[in-house]
Order: sequence, then C-alpha cells, then structure tokens
Amino acid sequence: MNLDWSIVWEYRWAFLFGVMNTVLLAVVTMLVAIPGGIVIMLMRNSPVRALRGIATVYVETFRATPLILLVYWIFYVMPRFGVHLPPFLTGVVALSLIVSAYNSETFRAGVNSIRKGQSDAGLALGMSKWQLQVKVILPQALRRVLPAFSNTWVSLFKDTSLVSVIAVSELSYVSLQARAESFRIFEILTAMAAIYWCLGYPQAKLVDWLNRKYEVKE
Amino acid sequence: MSRMDHQRNAIGKPPIVTYNNVEKCYGDFTALNGVTAEVNRGEVVCLIGPSGSGKSTLLRCTNALEQINGGEIIFDGAPLPKGENNVRLVRRRMGMVFQSFELFPHMTAIENINCAPVTVLGMPKREAEELSYSLLKKVGLVEKAHSYPSMLSGGQQQRIAIARALAMGPEVMLFDEPTSALDPETVGEVLSVMSDLAGEGMTMIVVTHEMSFARRVSDWIMVFDKGRVIEEGRPDNIFKHPTEGRTKEFLRHVGVEV
Amino acid sequence: MEFDFSPIFENWRYLRDGLLITISLSVLSIIAASILGGAIGLARVYGPRWLAGVLAFYVDSARSIPALVVLIWMYFAFPLMVGISLPPFWAAFIALSAYIAAYISEIVRGGVLSIRSGQTRAAKALGMSQNQTILKIILPQAVVRILPQYGNMLSITVKNSAICSVIAVPDYLQNSGIVAAQTYRPLEIYTVALIVYIAMILPLTRSTDWLYSRLSHLGRS
Repeated sequence: MNLDWSIVWEYRWAFLFGVMNTVLLAVVTMLVAIPGGIVIMLMRNSPVRALRGIATVYVETFRATPLILLVYWIFYVMPRFGVHLPPFLTGVVALSLIVSAYNSETFRAGVNSIRKGQSDAGLALGMSKWQLQVKVILPQALRRVLPAFSNTWVSLFKDTSLVSVIAVSELSYVSLQARAESFRIFEILTAMAAIYWCLGYPQAKLVDWLNRKYEVKE
Repeated sequence: MSRMDHQRNAIGKPPIVTYNNVEKCYGDFTALNGVTAEVNRGEVVCLIGPSGSGKSTLLRCTNALEQINGGEIIFDGAPLPKGENNVRLVRRRMGMVFQSFELFPHMTAIENINCAPVTVLGMPKREAEELSYSLLKKVGLVEKAHSYPSMLSGGQQQRIAIARALAMGPEVMLFDEPTSALDPETVGEVLSVMSDLAGEGMTMIVVTHEMSFARRVSDWIMVFDKGRVIEEGRPDNIFKHPTEGRTKEFLRHVGVEV
Repeated sequence: MEFDFSPIFENWRYLRDGLLITISLSVLSIIAASILGGAIGLARVYGPRWLAGVLAFYVDSARSIPALVVLIWMYFAFPLMVGISLPPFWAAFIALSAYIAAYISEIVRGGVLSIRSGQTRAAKALGMSQNQTILKIILPQAVVRILPQYGNMLSITVKNSAICSVIAVPDYLQNSGIVAAQTYRPLEIYTVALIVYIAMILPLTRSTDWLYSRLSHLGRS
C-alpha cells in the first residue's frame, strides 16, 4: 500500500471549510436548543396538565428517534407539506428538535435536585419567587447541570456528522467529497478521523474534568 | 389548660405573635388541631413535645412557609396577610433557622449573610458587608468569612445561618430544631450563641429537643402533643410539676426526672 | 394531499428483511460490545498500568470521534490497510461493537469504582483473593448499579444501527430509503419508518427510566 499524504494538505482549505461548518452547526443548534430545552422543562413542570402532556410526549418521542432518520424525514417529507428548507437549516432543525429534548431532561434534573429547604430558606429571608430563582435555585442548578450538559454538547458535536447525508458541507461531507475526487481513500478518511479526534478529544477531556469538579457530593 | 397569665412576663404590651385556634392539615393528617397561644416581645418560648406533634409545623406557619387551614395567626397586631408581596414584608421581620442549616452552598459565609440585606432590602453593598462582619464577630466566625459552607463544620454552618437570619434585623427569631442535625461536640457552640441572643432580649420561638437549654434559657414552655398545646407554663413548673399525664410521659421519655 | 400506503404493502418483504438486519445488527453488536466493554472496563481498574493507559486512550478516542466516521473508516479505509474487503454488515458490526464497547467500558468502570473501598478491604479481611473479591463482592453490587446506564446503551445501539445505512448495510432505514426513492412516496415510507423505530426504541428508554427510578436509592455508597 503506497500512501501519499500530501493529498491531505492539498485539501486543507476544504477540510477547514468543513470544520467551520461543523462548529457552526453545533453552535447554532445549541443556541436554539438551550431556550428550547428551558421551555420544554417549564412545560413539564407546569401545573397545566395539557402542557405537561405535550412536553412529555415531545421528550419521549425525540429521545426514541434516530437522528439520521429525522434528518431524512424533514428533508424528504416536509416539502410535501410545502416546507422547503435548505440542507443546513434542515440539519439545524433536526438537531435542535432532539437536543432540546435532551436539554429539557438535563435542566429538569438540575432544578428538581435542589432541596426544598433551599427555597424555604430563601423565602424565609423575604425573597420574592424571582429573587429566589435567580439568587438561590438557578446558580445551584447550573452547577448540577454542567456535567450532563457538556456531555450533550460533545454528542451534538459528533452528531453533526450525520447531516452529511443530505449534503450539508460539514467536515464529513467535504471529506467524502474529497475522497471521491482524489481516490486517495485511505489518506483522506484517516485525515477526517484525525481531525475529528483533534476537535473531540479535548472536549471529551473537558467533560471528564467538569464531571469530577461538579460531581454531586452530599 | 393554660396557666394564669399573671405568672408570665406580662409587660403590658400586646403579644407579638398570637395563635388563635390554628389548624393545619396535610391531606388526611391533621398536623395542628386548634392551637391557641401567645408569644410576648422579648420572650424566649420553647416548644417541646414528641416528634410529629406539630411544633415545627406551627413554626413554619408562623412565617407563612405553610398556609393554615383554619384559625388565625396574628403578628404584631395584624393577621398574617395573604398574597406573595405582603407575606414577604412580614417574613423580613422574622428570622428563621433550619434544622439542616440550608446555607446557600454556592456562596461564601459572608455572601450568605449579606445576600438578603442586599437583594431584599436593597442595602448598599458596603454597609451590608460591615453588618455581616459585625454578625460574624457575634457568632465568633470572622476568620471563616470567605469559607464556603462545605468547608465548615455543622456547628459553624448553623452559627452562620443564625447570623444570616439576624442580618435582616428581625423582631422575632424562629428556630426549627437548630441542633438536631449536629454532631454532639458542636451542639454547645450553637446553644451558646442562642443563649447570648436571648440575653440581649431577642424574641425567640424555639422548637428543640435540648431540654436543659429549654429549662435554662426559656421564659415560657409550650408542650405539644398530637397537634395541640397540652400544657404551658414557666420552665420550673413544667419540668418540676407537670400536670398532664402526656407531659410526664414525654419528659420521662427524654430522660428528665419529674 | 392524499396518502398512499400501498408501496409499503407491496414491498413489505423487502422492508421486513431490512428490519431483521437492523435487529440482528443491534443484538450482535450489543452482545459483542458488552463482552469487550466489560473486559476493557475491568482491565482499566484492575489491569497493569500500561494496559490501563492504552485502553484509556482507546476509550477517550472513541468518545471523540463520531460513529459515522468510525463506520466509514472501517468500511472504506480499514480494508485497504489490511488487504481484505469486508462486507458492509460485518464492517458495521465491527465498527459499532468497538464504538459501543468504549461507552460500556466507561459504565462498567464507573460502576466498579462506585463500590466503596471498604467493601474490598472487608473481603480481603475475610481472606478472599483478588479474583474472588471481584467476582463475589464487587461485580454483583456493580451490575445492579449500572443497569440503568446499560439500558441506555441498548437504545443508543439501535439508533446507531440506523447510521449503518450510510455504508449500504441493507438495514431497515436503507431499504426504506430505496423504496421511498423508487415509489416517490417518501412521506408514507419515512413516517412509517419513524413509527417503527420509535416503537423499537421507546420500550428500551421507558424501561431504562423505570430502572433509574427503582434503583436511584442505591446511589453511591
């Protein structure tokens, strides 16, 4: 097997473009999925039964849906309903739907894990419901949420690769294109894996560190 | 039932807290079954009695952490208000200390203390810090000002919690079993802070199982059983000559010779 | 707009074959991944230091790279390196097993480490060997504790099996895609696929949640 790694350097701008789109996809999705997750969490904790029901069905459904199938579904089925989304947006919608479901579960666990005594203590000091949330509950919930949230982020970062099936020019797609153009299959695919590794490995380590730092101790 | 009023520290002023036939239920369980009692200004009142007899519930109803189902609670001449905002105005005037401390774990000791004055009363930060230091001095923990609660012992946490409640300048302090969650060796430091506070004339309502503290520090004892005050009186009378059979039984159970 | 589900009935054998591939790929992968993951997890806790280091690098790398990339590399690049070609199903099986094993090893390791060291000391004090301690004392406690997270891996495996359609494994998603393209009925085909996948995965996630609530009191000892 004779290898020619210079091909990887020739495609450096394509790879860089792919990396930028991968990062952009993940960031835009998370910017949608954080408020999305908060809304769904509030619905699940709401006193209105119908809202609780809708939110529960939403979360259960999207936790059980393979992302790749959801991508296909939005890409091929939505146009039948007159909704034509460009591939990038299709990817953001599919990813956001699923990540919002995961985020809502993470946030809910965080908020529910704060003992009732803490809100009693805040109320006894004369705090309003709003002050209580901002000063006492949310800062603690955020710490509890950080490890699980960072896990979701890393999963999201990796899952952006699945959007390549509808030709969004993120790292996987541009790599597969480069492979087809250059016929240097081994070099290009190995470079793709290596680039993902370089991006993902520090993130995985950061997650471990956050898990150790904010591990719930009681 | 109630002993004659002239035996009590009657100083001619109206009581600061009055309970009129207070009732509280949780589902089928009746936690308070018609409690009628008074707490005067400057008095230390200890609530004693078996677990589940309603002492803590009465305390939690006093600052409206729980809503009562019947009767009324009068604070400083007016019934406890309804509605979030009015309730908050009353809560500012009462300090509460919890069995499990409930310090805010994400704030240092001093931040725990000045948090409420700054956010609730809108006190300038600098003034709140000065106040916090004077309170830390009072509870003997100035050197722990910048420690987080997880670095403090139970007794130290509870002393910070007392300082936190005092920072609001309360007219009455509510103590809900403040030493029950403590290691035996740290109980003393908390009780001594409470004794000092009583000595300064602070009005205190204390739910406690520390009988020697109740006997030594309190002006008035209320004995609870099954959601009622079955007997009340001066500590000497209650501990030496209890009249109710259930009181005698309870005191014997906690090791007090009657 | 009108619906036409007849392509599904006309091609039901083809779709069923795909579904069987999805199921067998998932089941085989989870079995292989459990054995491999269990071994890696235990080796990282009890094995020699150099081995633990190598395995840690393997596990962290698998956590850093998307499943799709592992699959594609295994199918297209790996055969070039070793000089044999792998059928899609077996490439998918190897890639999925190796990938899921990394996650399972983390779960096993976490479970074992969550058992207090006092338990090990107690077993040693009773004169047990290291192997006896692991088998009789640590693992029985750890297994119960990791059940919920393990259940989570089952649903992730089924979801990841759908990715294998990208390397033309004739699984349910791949066959659905082919039928959808041939019959111009993506709405019906993909919607039914969505329902079928949810029907497979939902019982797994629900029972995992149930396990969590049943076992939550075990916590960390």
